Amino acid sequence: MIEWFHPGFIYLFGAFLVPLLKGKKRLKQVYILLLPAIAFVNLLLMSKGVLLSEGKTWVLTFLGYELTLGRIDRLSMVFAYVFVIASFCMFLYSLHIKEDWQHVSAFLYIGSTLGVVFAGDLFTLFFFWEIMAWASLFLIWYGKTKSAFGAGFRYIMVHSFGGVCLLAGVLIHLHNGGSLAFESFTWGIGGEYLGVNLIFLAFIINAAVPPLHAWLADAYPEASVTGAVFLTAFTTKSAIYVLIRGFPGVEILIWLGAIMALYGVVFAVLENDIRRLLAYHIISQVGYMVAGVGMGVFGTAAGEMAINGAAAHAFCHILYKAVLFMGMGAVIEVTGRRKLTELGGIYKYMPITFWLYMIGAFSISGFPLFNGFVSKTMIVHASAMWGYPTIWLMLEGASIGTFLHTGLKLPWGVWFARDTPVCEAREPPKNMLAAMGITAFLCTLLGVYPQILYNILPYPVDYVPYAPGHVVAMCQLLLFTFVAFWLLRAMLHGTPTITLDTDWFYRIPGKRVIRFCEGPLMSFANYIDQNVMRMAGFIVWVSRNPFAALRIKGEEVKLKVEKPVITPKKAEEYERGLEEARRRYTKELPRLSLGASILLILLFFLVYLAMYLLTVH
Amino acid sequence: MKMKIAITMRHLFLMLYVSLFVGVLAGILVKLFLHPHAYFWWEEIPVFSAVYGFVGCIIIIVASKALGHHWLQKEEDYYEKH
Repeated sequence: MIEWFHPGFIYLFGAFLVPLLKGKKRLKQVYILLLPAIAFVNLLLMSKGVLLSEGKTWVLTFLGYELTLGRIDRLSMVFAYVFVIASFCMFLYSLHIKEDWQHVSAFLYIGSTLGVVFAGDLFTLFFFWEIMAWASLFLIWYGKTKSAFGAGFRYIMVHSFGGVCLLAGVLIHLHNGGSLAFESFTWGIGGEYLGVNLIFLAFIINAAVPPLHAWLADAYPEASVTGAVFLTAFTTKSAIYVLIRGFPGVEILIWLGAIMALYGVVFAVLENDIRRLLAYHIISQVGYMVAGVGMGVFGTAAGEMAINGAAAHAFCHILYKAVLFMGMGAVIEVTGRRKLTELGGIYKYMPITFWLYMIGAFSISGFPLFNGFVSKTMIVHASAMWGYPTIWLMLEGASIGTFLHTGLKLPWGVWFARDTPVCEAREPPKNMLAAMGITAFLCTLLGVYPQILYNILPYPVDYVPYAPGHVVAMCQLLLFTFVAFWLLRAMLHGTPTITLDTDWFYRIPGKRVIRFCEGPLMSFANYIDQNVMRMAGFIVWVSRNPFAALRIKGEEVKLKVEKPVITPKKAEEYERGLEEARRRYTKELPRLSLGASILLILLFFLVYLAMYLLTVH
Repeated sequence: MKMKIAITMRHLFLMLYVSLFVGVLAGILVKLFLHPHAYFWWEEIPVFSAVYGFVGCIIIIVASKALGHHWLQKEEDYYEKH
């Protein structure tokens, strides 16, 4: 029997061979596509039970703790599947990139995400969690602009904070007698839950839950065209995975998720940057999943529906979001423009890109026959089963906004909106089109045959997406959204503005704090520092010969007092004398007699004795 | 060329009107003959989704624009200036 091999390590180890294939273009491209393919075969073998279908493996001992690198069950498998499938499409999309290290960071990013997915204990989770943050940072910096550098820096600051929270949370959790195994936590409010709450905080930072979401909309649109496509999938969806694992059925998540779903929609209305608009829709869509996790109480039919919905929606979301980012990336690639105000009318140059993008847009909006419909409605249905009317209305409302922006406003503004094209354009390179085609095909495939997806979900699925009531309601909702859009389309033109978000708090007051530290606070510190140094210097000077020093200081004071009453000549003489005394001072060491020295030593001992007696009694 | 575009736009609008009509009709028919299980009172209204889509869309646009106009939207070099 062949030993199980961790799919993440196929990426992690495989990454470093990429730079070695320098100069062999074809071979390198084949190799880059081969790694995800091998990982996929590996997963298939796992699901067939050839390598190990369920259970724990790769157990190591570290500092007396048992670390589990491979925990395989239905939940980790569904996430692993989608990560591997999506990574294949994404590598195909970025195949023309010549910078090897960009591929390497993408491989490390995906490998570490798979590490998170299969992690069976909290230390392993933390280890891969950190690699994930750092590897993805380089995909942002490969945007190679000043703003990309700044955004990347802010990104890593936020994620370092999240990482520290996770580590601190894990350590406190262990200290309080918690187990190292990564199972669902007992969540609550209060001192004894501090560790668990820190872990929770780290998870919702990565899930981009407002107000901790600004890193996403700040950094993703600044990444390189291909890097952004990778970024959309892994960080937030692995956060959903760990939330399902650790905090299913935590009620606050339902509300956070529903607010998140609407929050992204509102900000997307205001956005002019095409990829930032889509980034806000990641936040919105992840909101559905977060709400699903919140409703996922163990052992209830509605809870299982919600968890299934969250996992299924993560699966579908990764695919259609990739198509959307690929489409907008293609526009940026061929036009070099990224703002709605600078685009328009270029449909005739790139119709294939447009239609492939629209498949993604129909999917995210939840049109019947596309994959968003079969997964999003599960979460909405779960909210109905639980009887949350407000949540239901909020989630349905977010669907309206989603179609409005990604399905109508964005394609309208980018490809139409003007009678004459604003610039020359063409279809993107073939590999990009092929990647979009495959991903769009998968979106429709899952929409038409949802059973493929339902079969791999964590719980048995008892849900019929294509019930006539669902289909008709969704069609009505989206059709009338279109009517409202058409009437108000003049209001939806991009404006050359940016939108303030919660990153304002660390970009403006944060900058002011730094400025305050560098300016006033530093000069104050310098002032204190100088004076303390001067005082220390004086004490050193005095202690060399206290008698002579005292004499010199006494003379100085005497001179100052007498100066107004004596003749200038005499004063000058006086000063010269003082000068001479100062000059001789350092050479003139005190000459103590033997008796005086012994007296000093005895005095010293006396003080010491007094101190001893005082402390003892 | 102009003529051709006008005709296709007309066709598209015709399609839109037909699909709006069919959507509403289907909603009513499904309600009358299939009686799907409703969890909330508003699901009993056959055209609820249509109204919600239309009104919701307008609210989202108007409310977000107002929010942006009065508070959140700033000139593009805002962060460089401050």
